[in-house]
Amino acid sequence: MSTHGSQDAGGGPAENLDYRIAHLQDRLASGELGELGVRVEARGQAVLLTGTVPSSPCREEILRTVHEELAGIPVHSDLVVTEASSPDHAEELA
Amino acid sequence: MIRIAAVGDIHMGPDSQGVLRPAFETLPECADLLLLAGDLTRHGTPEEMRVVAREVQGLGVPVVAVLGNHDHHDDRPDEVTAILRDAGTHVLEGEHTVVESGGARIGVAGTKGFGGGFVGRCAGEFGEPVMKEFVRYSRRSADGLRTALEQLGEADCDARIALTHYSPVAETLAGEPLEIYPFLGSYLLAEAIDTAGADLAVHGHAHAGTEHGMTSGGVKVRNVAQPVIGRAFHVYHLPVRDRAASTAAAHAAH
Repeated sequence: MSTHGSQDAGGGPAENLDYRIAHLQDRLASGELGELGVRVEARGQAVLLTGTVPSSPCREEILRTVHEELAGIPVHSDLVVTEASSPDHAEELA
Repeated sequence: MIRIAAVGDIHMGPDSQGVLRPAFETLPECADLLLLAGDLTRHGTPEEMRVVAREVQGLGVPVVAVLGNHDHHDDRPDEVTAILRDAGTHVLEGEHTVVESGGARIGVAGTKGFGGGFVGRCAGEFGEPVMKEFVRYSRRSADGLRTALEQLGEADCDARIALTHYSPVAETLAGEPLEIYPFLGSYLLAEAIDTAGADLAVHGHAHAGTEHGMTSGGVKVRNVAQPVIGRAFHVYHLPVRDRAASTAAAHAAH
């Protein structure tokens, strides 16, 4: 995403969305969650979150962190919680 | 037939105690052993590993594990390994174990492994000390795996399995951004597997990857990261080979 002009959200270095996403990912990895499995991508003027997380509380904590770090940016979340059921079949290895 | 259950990247913490246990308790009905392919915790703290230990203790099938990078984050790999071992799990790092289950001798050689990338697109042992150490660390992991597999070749096993956290092949990373492949695995692991011989290679780490792959030497590779398999574990049925043929193949590989 490229923006120009100081009036534009995302214009100044501190507001540059690429860097804000990078800082968010650093915070998710190094913080309470240790979360490296969430993909954060700019989609137009919004941000899309994808990935699988271990639990619902983890997902809520990630979303809280994302909204805090990316205040003012619309966030679309497609995070799913890991499925913990038994498999319904086995793979036969020939 | 040997029934191998496997999962990696379960990333347990205090809020996940009991989440996997109901599925794990079905293991004696469908599997001869459970492999844990690393990243069992979120930060590698003793508290988190105690959650894992309680989840896998007394399951009725042998449990064999390697640690992942998350399990190293708190810089206490020996402590968290001991917690898991106290719960009866075999934890491997450049080591092997033979479990007897379902009437078969199943050999597992394990290492966490490391990154570096894949042939033609990999890091080299050159330049800054930290770069050289990166590659040497990966090489030591792979050497440990090769030696452990070779030792299993002498141990009269019905099957040999290579268990790692990082991937030995690029194929099972499909779905991850290409730019991060060098952080997800190393061809050195595949070279070790192909040199020493194995019947199956199991790994985790790549949450957005793909389940199925194969080394260039023809060993089947399965990425069992929980987000990839979408279940508490997957089960693979491995035909039991003729033990004499297996030993001969191991000797031929030397």
